[in-house]
Amino acid sequence: MNGFLSVALLIVMSAALFMLPLIPAMAELNRKSDAQPLSVIQQHAGEIRHFADRFRLYIKELEPLLLQAVNTGTTLSGTLPDKTEYLVLGSGKEALRLPLRQSDETCPVLLATGIDLSLPPDTAFSKDVYVAGRFRGGTKNRYRAILGEKEVDLGAESHVMRWVHAVGNFSAGPACQLHGRVSSDTGIQLSGGDSTFQRLNAPQIQFGNPPMSSDFADTAEPSDSWATPPRLLHDGNFEIPDGQTFRGNLVARGVLRIGRHARILGDVKGDRGVVVDEGAILRGSLISSNTMRIGANCDIHGPVIAEKVLILERGTRCGSAEKPTTVSAPWIQVEEGVVVFGTLWAREHGAVVAKV
Amino acid sequence: MIYVLYAIVAFICIYTARHYWFTLNRLFGFQRHPYIDIDTADWPPVTILVAAHNEEKVIANILSALMTVKYPQDKMLVVPVNDRSTDGTREIIDGFVERFPGRIRPFHRAGGKGGKAAALKDAMELAETEVILIFDADYIPGAGLIKQLVAPFFDPEVGGVMGRVVPMNCGTNLLTRLLDLERAGGYQVDQQARMNLRLVPQHGGTVAGVRLSALHEIGGWNDNSLTEDTDLTYRLLLHGWKTVYQNRSECYEEVPETWPVRIKQIMRWAKGHNQAMVTYGLHLLLGKHRASLRERIDGTLLLGVYIMAPVTLVGWILALAVFYEGIAPLHGVVALLSITAYAAIGNLAAFFEIAAAVRLDGNRKRIVLLPFLILGFAVSIFSVSRATIAQVKDALTGAEFHWDKTERFRKVPS
Repeated sequence: MNGFLSVALLIVMSAALFMLPLIPAMAELNRKSDAQPLSVIQQHAGEIRHFADRFRLYIKELEPLLLQAVNTGTTLSGTLPDKTEYLVLGSGKEALRLPLRQSDETCPVLLATGIDLSLPPDTAFSKDVYVAGRFRGGTKNRYRAILGEKEVDLGAESHVMRWVHAVGNFSAGPACQLHGRVSSDTGIQLSGGDSTFQRLNAPQIQFGNPPMSSDFADTAEPSDSWATPPRLLHDGNFEIPDGQTFRGNLVARGVLRIGRHARILGDVKGDRGVVVDEGAILRGSLISSNTMRIGANCDIHGPVIAEKVLILERGTRCGSAEKPTTVSAPWIQVEEGVVVFGTLWAREHGAVVAKV
Repeated sequence: MIYVLYAIVAFICIYTARHYWFTLNRLFGFQRHPYIDIDTADWPPVTILVAAHNEEKVIANILSALMTVKYPQDKMLVVPVNDRSTDGTREIIDGFVERFPGRIRPFHRAGGKGGKAAALKDAMELAETEVILIFDADYIPGAGLIKQLVAPFFDPEVGGVMGRVVPMNCGTNLLTRLLDLERAGGYQVDQQARMNLRLVPQHGGTVAGVRLSALHEIGGWNDNSLTEDTDLTYRLLLHGWKTVYQNRSECYEEVPETWPVRIKQIMRWAKGHNQAMVTYGLHLLLGKHRASLRERIDGTLLLGVYIMAPVTLVGWILALAVFYEGIAPLHGVVALLSITAYAAIGNLAAFFEIAAAVRLDGNRKRIVLLPFLILGFAVSIFSVSRATIAQVKDALTGAEFHWDKTERFRKVPS
């Protein structure tokens, strides 16, 4: 082979090697098999009731059957267009008599009823449950998802894997494990006894049996919550002494400690942790880039955010009926007697305990 | 000559390590989204500024979208900042004002200094709320976006907020598909990693927010800046305010569909960024202010990203020169190794970042377009170098900066 051919061959081979990775690229450019814009998740606004709303639409075609079953008091079964088997109950107590428990103790059908429903204990419901009336679940049950148009009451040691929405009150017995979303248009009550949760939303969320008439005597003068207060930026730890009132926004680059019965009229943050002692009142938000411990009987009006662990002690109240708020952290421990108005969101793990 | 080359190689290695660090953090590290869970609150009043200069093709889309977002209507005021438009922008805005009385207060600007920063500065007279959001006119915010962008302002340390930009016309041609990949890398990996690592997430000037009191504290908008967003990021940082990035606060935008428009856009960004580097670089790294050590280092590196383009070009030329000059055999090897190392690892780092972003987004098939990014990078490196040279020339001759508006490609609504 002469020199010219060798060089030409080298160039051709180099060009071919260079082009090799471009072949699938050119094919994709031509086919456009993945050329759609990224799906933007907040189009549905991250709404906690999103799954419940979708399920309500999904179940709509069963409405005539729900009516028919109630009117005749019979149980109807069939298959939805997506091949999901369903069971429509005409009598609320029917479920207790049905052979729901199979060898693996699983009810593999979508369950729906137009009236009140009581479910037997020790059963796993691997499909969604729809109840137009009141719902009462047996102990140690496992649910995929529940939509209740009235009250929903879970028995002790029950598990919910994805979501629950109750139009009426939602309550769960001791030692329930609530994965995913739990929402109510009225209120949520979780018993202690090592119950766990992730995302809760309701006008009022109670843990255990908190005193309903709290004596949060906020004597601080009213302020315009969205006026612009001055900001204090402090390098290092910062402490607001017991009983003192602090006006303005505060950022402590160390640990922030708020003394007993202190009052804060503004938003506050501690970069290395926040400790709030008993009886403190905060008119604004409370933020920690680390852990946060909120003592007993505190009253916090604004959002409460901790980037690591959040501990809420008995009698503390976050938000109010008029101005609900969000309490969020990856890990949350809540003592019985705490009340949150709005959202309580433990990204990783939330637990209700008798005493931290 | 060889020592200059050593220095350039060292800089490239630092940026390469940074790319890898960010990517590995996004793939395996702890992800910070501290404010994204705030879905219930006593929401504050907010003013939304929509920067518009000859935006008749797109302004109706954003105003329509803003009228349907989930935010208390009585707490939200939209201010379209009509900056000396000569097309139908004004008429479209006025049409919306009539349709939505009390919800839109237009700011029509007939004269004054050019540029977005100057327009925003003048429009501030209509902004009375503590929280101000800013959008460019080609963006289309989703229903939950406003709450997501406002939520971080409950943190009293936050002075600025930045959301994620998602190209909506990514399937149009090769350029838009490459820009889609670049945006994914820049936001999904780069910005979020800086958020995770408590470094310096950059304010983008759109899909973004700023606290009014912080803005006042730092002296308002800098209308001498070509990139008011970069300028804002650094002034906030120097005054002890944080800019936070919300990766899940996504908003559609329109990316350039032709190469000349893209080149103009990146040249403006390069000039603005370099301007900020000259203004704040030394003070950020060594001065007395409230930024932490990691913020000082990352902020300085971020300021240098555009200057790295001409530096890399110089490095390539020097490496070849050193090799062919035959200064010393060892140097020849070093030169060869530096080119090879940069080609193998330096380029790959950015590719790695983008590939990771595509994976995180779940768009697996578009990853095969990655080799085409060489084309995009080549165009960028020469455009940015050209912009830098022009900037130096302008500085020497005292010429004023010229604002180039990015052309839109959407069809005018009927």
